Amino acid sequence: MTLTVKLYGVFRIGRFKEKQLEFADGVCIDEVVEHLQLNRQLLGIILINDKHANITSTLADGDTLALLPILEGG
Amino acid sequence: MQILTTDPVKEPSRILYSRCVLDLQSGEQTFNDVPCSNLEDVLGGFGRSFQQLAKRPLGEAYCDENPLIINTGLLTGSTAMTGMRTYFSAYSPLKQSLKGLPAAIWSAGSGKFGAKFKWTGLDELILENRSDKPVYLVIRPTERGPQIDVKPAEHLCGLTTHEKIMELQQHYENAHFAAIGPAGENWHQVLMGSIALSTENQLRSGEDKQRFAGRGGMGSMMGYKNVLALVAQAPDQKKPLSEAVKKVNTNVVKGGGAARLQPIKRGGGGGTWAAYDVLQPFHAVPVNNFRPQGNDLPERMLRENVDKDYDLESSACWRCGITCHNYVYEKKPDGSRGEFLSKFDYEPLNLLSTNIGIHDPGQGARLIQACDLMGMDAISLGVTLSYLLAWNERHPDKPLFDGVGFGDYEKIRELILATGKGSCPDIGSGSMRLSQKTGETDYAYHVKGLEIAAYQPETNPGYIWAIAGGHMTMGTYGMLIREGKTDFDSWVDAITRDKLQIVGFDMIGLCKFFDITKGIGTQMVVDCLKSDFNLEVTEEDLRAAVHRAFILGLIMEKRQGYTEAEYALPAEVAKIPNPHIKIPDISNLAYIEQLSQRVWAEFKPDMETVAKELGLK
Repeated sequence: MTLTVKLYGVFRIGRFKEKQLEFADGVCIDEVVEHLQLNRQLLGIILINDKHANITSTLADGDTLALLPILEGG
Repeated sequence: MQILTTDPVKEPSRILYSRCVLDLQSGEQTFNDVPCSNLEDVLGGFGRSFQQLAKRPLGEAYCDENPLIINTGLLTGSTAMTGMRTYFSAYSPLKQSLKGLPAAIWSAGSGKFGAKFKWTGLDELILENRSDKPVYLVIRPTERGPQIDVKPAEHLCGLTTHEKIMELQQHYENAHFAAIGPAGENWHQVLMGSIALSTENQLRSGEDKQRFAGRGGMGSMMGYKNVLALVAQAPDQKKPLSEAVKKVNTNVVKGGGAARLQPIKRGGGGGTWAAYDVLQPFHAVPVNNFRPQGNDLPERMLRENVDKDYDLESSACWRCGITCHNYVYEKKPDGSRGEFLSKFDYEPLNLLSTNIGIHDPGQGARLIQACDLMGMDAISLGVTLSYLLAWNERHPDKPLFDGVGFGDYEKIRELILATGKGSCPDIGSGSMRLSQKTGETDYAYHVKGLEIAAYQPETNPGYIWAIAGGHMTMGTYGMLIREGKTDFDSWVDAITRDKLQIVGFDMIGLCKFFDITKGIGTQMVVDCLKSDFNLEVTEEDLRAAVHRAFILGLIMEKRQGYTEAEYALPAEVAKIPNPHIKIPDISNLAYIEQLSQRVWAEFKPDMETVAKELGLK
């Protein structure tokens, strides 16, 4: 199945801003994070089609997945 | 501190803190070892100072009866990482109720002054009355205990924060400094004066790399006292690092809480500046007085874009492994490092750039620098400026301050310098007073008279209950964006229990980056207190003490005239909802009303209990 993956902040370094990627049906976000080798300590916000999700959520064909770094303090 | 017990909860009076009360009018100094009355006293910071301020409600901030309390926390100057904090507390010249009474406030800062202050042997200095002439104070340890010399300071008048510190450094070796800028000296015209705290980086490099206690106008209060600077001169105390604290420090540096703050080259998130990256996808980065436009304007301040034209350096506070600072320098044509500009932290950066229509990183950096050198709170100044610019945009027929507009860098910079020098009291008095004067208060972005931080109020109803500044005294600012929480149970729990715990860091002497999500009620803090002081205290004890201290803050707000109607977000948020911000609506009036009812239902019984315990009416 095809996912649109959007990355933000430091996750873009050495990767991409937005890309269409192929995954097996029923893939969960944890597997996408693993595939992209993102630093899990920095992973703060996960959105599927602009709705908050969690690391164990599964994805469907055509979904847009956004992965953002953590937001804490300022 | 004299610690004669292992149980600070049951036997707080067997722990004594060293206090000096200095009457600036008579010069009389009174030193005492004061027994603590509860765990809040033991921990220090605002937990102690607010109990003292509660004993003397005041009608105005600029009066001789308003003390300026300078203290540290139990872990300031200890081996625990981030233990650098100094606290300044008083009734605020800036934050006041609509009844016209000043609110009690504290402001915290890092830098090395706090540790040096602690190492003089003093835990707290209370400045009473005011000096007839400008002075600075030198605090030193002697064989008979700490000693304070009051010195004439005419030669420091008019100097910037950085210039004062560098001037004093020439005369005091092995010392660190707290100094106000021209803004604090012009306290009558500038209510938002800050206090600069020197750093090792600053003294070594000669560059203006100081830290600030900014909120609530404590620099103006120090200026009112006619105290231009404090010098803490004492040898460093190099206590051996215990295995327990070493383990804690490693956890602080490598733990999840600090990861986002570490430099990118070390696999971190690059500091608080990175909030731009997270908020922008929601179009929740404040733009032009908190009205995001749904466009990509804020992206010009993303690190990846700034990095192209400027030289960036990661740095840390003395002895801290969280390298959270991002220093910005000019880049020379050959690519080498040029002049130091300023430090990019999310709050000052946004409020003195994107939120006032400045999208050039170099210009933003120079405005931050101007604000810092004048010695003003970047949050209050930035938000007051954005209000002014919004007024001018709406009223081209009757503009203020020569019609300065969003993005007008030269004019804005001139205004910042003039405000610091006391020439623009309408700006120096903050957004609440300016909006009351113009008659248009809806788009003045303050809560209870104190300007909000650089998180859209649409994302954070918790602002309403913050007791000393919108984000660092109520940790709900990221809840909606981060977790997507909209249900009342989550918000009520967060506001009344978990997220108020953030203020514990303003008691104990640690920086919030020690463990910002959990507060001080953690095994890490328990271990530090056991290791460094042999104190037996539980996580629950610490959380309870922080909760009581926060509740006292609410009690004091009510005593200073705040009505429940003043516990509200800026009116524009609900009156003209911003369609560009991509988040669920939890800032409409119906939501806020229901949330308020539930929050007060939790807080009010606590307030009655704490008031009774402390003997407050």
